[in-house]
Formats: sequence, C-alpha cells, structure tokens
Amino acid sequence: MIEIAIDLIIAMGVVGLALQTILGASVFRAILMFIVFGLLMAMAWARLHAPDLALAEAAIGAGITGALLLVTWRRLQAMDGRTPRVGIAARAPWLSIASGIFAAALIVALGWVSLSLPAEPAAAGELAWQRLPEVGVSNPVTGVLLAFRAYDTLMEMGVLLAAWLGARAVASELRPGALPGPAHAEVPLVGALLSLVVPISLLVAVYLLQAGGSAPGGAFQGGAVLAAGGVLLCLSGRLEAAERSSITERIGLVLGLAVFSCIGLVMLFMGEPMLAMPGVWAIYLVETALLLSIALTLVLLFAAAPGLRRAP
Amino acid sequence: MNTTALIYLLTAAAVFGIGVHGLLQARQVLRQLLAINLMGGAIFLLLITLGGGAVGPPDPVPQAMVLTGIVIAVSATAFALALLLRLQDATGTSELDPNDGA
Repeated sequence: MIEIAIDLIIAMGVVGLALQTILGASVFRAILMFIVFGLLMAMAWARLHAPDLALAEAAIGAGITGALLLVTWRRLQAMDGRTPRVGIAARAPWLSIASGIFAAALIVALGWVSLSLPAEPAAAGELAWQRLPEVGVSNPVTGVLLAFRAYDTLMEMGVLLAAWLGARAVASELRPGALPGPAHAEVPLVGALLSLVVPISLLVAVYLLQAGGSAPGGAFQGGAVLAAGGVLLCLSGRLEAAERSSITERIGLVLGLAVFSCIGLVMLFMGEPMLAMPGVWAIYLVETALLLSIALTLVLLFAAAPGLRRAP
Repeated sequence: MNTTALIYLLTAAAVFGIGVHGLLQARQVLRQLLAINLMGGAIFLLLITLGGGAVGPPDPVPQAMVLTGIVIAVSATAFALALLLRLQDATGTSELDPNDGA
C-alpha cells in the first residue's frame, strides 16, 4: 500500500514538473523545473528496479544536461542585443488551443495502447540473463552494453564524438568574441570546496567504473560524474578555454572509440565475431577508455571550446 | 497488470503528450528543446515499464537501450544548443519565425 502511495507521489510529481517545464513563466524557470523533473525521474527508475538508469538520469539527464542548458541560457542572454533583432510575428492563439487538444487526444491514445501491451521481459532479455555467466560480469546491463549489443555502445560513442565535432564546427562560425567570457568573482571558500569536491568526483567515477561489473554503475555514469568535476573547474575559472585542442585532448576524445574498435577488429582477425570481448579485462579496459572519452567530451561541450588549459 | 505498471504507463503517456504540446506551442527554441527532452524521458519510462520494471528487475536489453538513449539525448541537446547560439549570433534572437518558410 505504502509503495503504491510512493508511486503515485512520484508520478504526480513527474507530470506536474513536466507541465511546469512547458508552462514555466520564464525560460530560466522552465530549465530549473526540467532539472528537478530529471531528479524525480531518477526516483522513478529506482522504483522500477533500474538503479543503473537512476544513476545515469541523475548524473547525465539532470546534472550535465541541466548545466548545459543553464550555461547556454546565460550565454544567450549575454549575446542578446548585440545584433539587431529580427521581427517575429506573434503566433495565433488558436494554435495553442489546437495543440493542447491534440496533445490530450495523444495522451488518451498512448495510455490506452500501452495498457494493452504485455509488461514483461521479452525473449532477448531472458536470453541475456541466461548467457550472462559467459560474459564474466554479473551486472546484466553492463553485459548487454559491452557484450550482447556492443555495436550500440560503439555507435553511441560515435554519436557523442559527432555531436562534439558538430558543436565545434558550428561554434567556429560564431563572430569573434561572441561568447561571453567567464564572469566569476573569486569567493574565498571556492578553492577549499573544489579541493574537496573534485577529488571526490574522481573517486566516485573510478568506483562507479569498478562497480559496473557486478553492481549498478559503469562507464557512462562514471564519465558523467567525472565530467561534473571538470564542469566545476570550468565554472570556477580554474580551467579556461583554449583556442586549439592539445594533442592529449584529441587523443582523449577518440580514445573510447579507438580502443573499442581496435579490440573488436583484433577479435575479428582471430576468427571471433567482431566486437567480441576476449575477457573481463577487455571489458574493463574498454570501459576505462569510454569513461575518459565521455568525461572529456562532456566537459568540452560544456565549455563550448576546442580545448581547455589551466587558468594562470 | 499491477498497479505500479499502470501508474508509470499513464505517467509516460501524460509526459509525452505534455512534451508534444510544449514542442508545438513554444516560441523559444530552448523551450522546444526542453519539450523534446521531456518526450524522450516519457519514451524511456514506457520502455522500462513495458520491460517488466514494475514487478522485478526489468529486461536488461531495454535498460541498456535507455542508458544509450540518455547519452544520445545529451549529445543531441548539446549539438542543438550550439546551433542555438549560432542562431542568436546570426539573427539576434533565439526564437524561430513561425511564418518562415510557410
């Protein structure tokens, strides 16, 4: 009974925050509501027996996405008024009513259809559970990510790299000096806070990576936590944008993709299926490379810069 | 079907609909991005609940897909935000003209 009550509270919170995200009076408020929505979604994942997703949602969905949205909002405001505004016609009010009716019909239809579907694991999932001991890790999600559906994970790294390259290409078209520089006052306690939080983020990232084999965790959650440490260093001005990426950064960006592909190709030449993992050590090696690439890519996306260097 | 599954399926449907409405009626691109992210979150919720998450550990395959999806969503959002900065730089506004190309 108490569980149903918790589910209801989470569900009402999720729906209410989604509404607030859409209707929020200011964009800033909408972004804040979206971040809290992400945190509540993490609780929903925990209730749905998916702690891996809860970690990922809290770290990536709410944390990194929220930081990206907020920093972009601040940059947009700082850029506002530098270029003459293009006049935009007001949208017809009936459009909003029509889309509201459409959305309501969609909710009813989606609810109706999803309730008639079976809510139980499918054949592929059963098979994954059965064959999991052969992989050598006991966390089924890590097993699926790196052994049974390794292509997905490889391509995911490809998408992450492509997003960074795309963002770089677009940002290089900005007029010089378009992005506002960091505007932070040095607060005495920030240094002390950073010297605590940044090492802890590294520690938590390594723990999540190591735990990923047998408990909730893995490269993606760990990478996001490590990226959060990097974002803090950028925010506090300890790291600043560089004009070019250093060779280390370039290697770091492609490390995950490169290590993963190399092991996959070597296995192909040894007569195994492509991307087959030669052992548990290979899974951890690939995960370590993925973690470093994910963290670096997310921090560089946040900084909207080709590279970073230590602030003088 | 147990009550937990029922609650989360209906939540997913509601959030998806709210996202669609937000996407259609928002003027600012940033709000549209928020709406798309809401829709993504709703689909993730649907996948996991239909994978049996309400009764026990859900099917690991949709779990891995959703984990991948969360990372893809942040990548796509980051790229879209970079495009948005470029839009602001070029036109002086972060809104889209509803009459453009109509």
